[in-house]
Amino acid sequence: MSSQTIALTIVGAVILGTILFALTSVRRLKMDPQEYIVGGRSFGALLLWILLAGEIYTSFTFLGAAGWAYDKGAAAFYILAYGTLAYCIGFFLLPPIWRIGKERGLLTLADLFIDRYDSKVLGILVAALQFFLVVPYVTLQLSGMQILLGIAGYGGYNGTVAVSIAFVVMALFVFTAGLRGTAWASVIKDVLVLGAVLFAGIALPAHFFGSPLGMIDRLLQTHPHWTILPPPGHANASYTIPWFITTILLTGIGFFMGPANAPAIYSARSAETLRRNMIFMPLYQLVLLFVFFAGFTALMVHPGLKGHASDQSFMLVVQRFYSAPVLGIVAAAGCLAALLPASTLLLGAASVFSKNVLGDGFNIATGDRERTWATRVLVLIIAALALVIWLRYTASLVDLLLFYYVGITQLAPGVIFGLVWRRVGPWAVGAGLLAGEIIGYSLTHWAAVHMVVTVWNVNPGFLALVVNVALCVLIALAFPAKKKPAGVPAG
Amino acid sequence: MTPAARFTQIALAAIPPVMLTLAIPFVNREEPRILGFPFLLAWMVFWVAVTPLFLLAANRYGRST
Repeated sequence: MSSQTIALTIVGAVILGTILFALTSVRRLKMDPQEYIVGGRSFGALLLWILLAGEIYTSFTFLGAAGWAYDKGAAAFYILAYGTLAYCIGFFLLPPIWRIGKERGLLTLADLFIDRYDSKVLGILVAALQFFLVVPYVTLQLSGMQILLGIAGYGGYNGTVAVSIAFVVMALFVFTAGLRGTAWASVIKDVLVLGAVLFAGIALPAHFFGSPLGMIDRLLQTHPHWTILPPPGHANASYTIPWFITTILLTGIGFFMGPANAPAIYSARSAETLRRNMIFMPLYQLVLLFVFFAGFTALMVHPGLKGHASDQSFMLVVQRFYSAPVLGIVAAAGCLAALLPASTLLLGAASVFSKNVLGDGFNIATGDRERTWATRVLVLIIAALALVIWLRYTASLVDLLLFYYVGITQLAPGVIFGLVWRRVGPWAVGAGLLAGEIIGYSLTHWAAVHMVVTVWNVNPGFLALVVNVALCVLIALAFPAKKKPAGVPAG
Repeated sequence: MTPAARFTQIALAAIPPVMLTLAIPFVNREEPRILGFPFLLAWMVFWVAVTPLFLLAANRYGRST
């Protein structure tokens, strides 16, 4: 057998095995929306940990973080910090969101907006935003898979065809397995990815430089200042300290605002389960250190990749210096890291759209069976949109993720103020949200046209968030909401 | 929970995020190396690693008051 056949066979076998495993774990459950979307609100600490942690190891972590360490150096360290910030916020935010969800029978984040602000229009707006913002995120995972399949095929292989097939498999997987199947499949994924990351971060540097620390010594000699944020005038001068801080804040605050997050929160058995998860989740982030090591190693062993090509960096090193079975296993781990998070996101986005836009907005598909079917059709629609974006544009994985966060973080003021401040009403939140989206994407577009990444040295999405919050606060002070909010927690 | 207790809880949980964001201008350096790691990376890894301790403390504090 040729190397190409061996590597691709391993990838195919692993994906197929994972799907079969997921299907056997959900076979006997009745599939109503409560079960399908929020897992029957019965996930204990372990399954919830797997589900939440599963969203960390995506192909973004696997390839994108290494790619940035390779291409931009210390700027990549933001990825280590933003999850940690998110868990510190989530420690306070998630238990009350869960409690209200259980009391009021909520399934989505838009439900929370409708319940708290008593405004269907706001709910529809939130649902539609989450639905469309997921497209670049799913594109990111597709992009990651295309890189992995391309490299596992040793270049003699059409990545576009492969990724299309994989995507169909994933869509089928989503609408047979639901949230619980995806959570259990994440067990296989996390074990494989952890193994692959440790291999890439320890065995790769050891192979070339004796040890990871030997690799760091070499890096500091050959690339001085690579592990600090650049002073003005440097090649990566856009990624300065103000950019770094505002990007961590933007992405950390927006972390739990995605369409997959509210269902994951509601799937918890108790508030305590969530709190315990938030306490220990930062430890999982430390694995990123090894991803950085893999990127740094690739920088010295296989230099010359530029821009979004650097996402391929450490996989190319594995392809060049290791046997086909090793490449196959690492690529398979990476493919699962793309497929499973994309599957939770597709499910979350489709659920929120079918419930809050079709159901609440237009009174379509309101019965349990129709809604489950609408969710399945919508999964296919987002998947197709993501495929179209992937075919038409090229962007680095980190760029796609940051594009997503510019929009998704604008939902945070409505959630946080909604929990802690009674004066805030639907007009304040709605105006802030719309202003945030418009300013955020206008500035992002302006920056892209001018080939820069920052506006006044800071992340454009963060500027938009500041305007969003300011507008929301001003309107709330000028026109306080009269109604007593339904779900304000006792503390 | 009293407002003072709530404040202490939030302050405890805010320490790691502040160290990972606002403190960055003061730690953006390569030297001194800590266990072989460049300083900025060592600083960030340290604060991520000790975050569970701060959140555990916040959790204890929330329950005892």
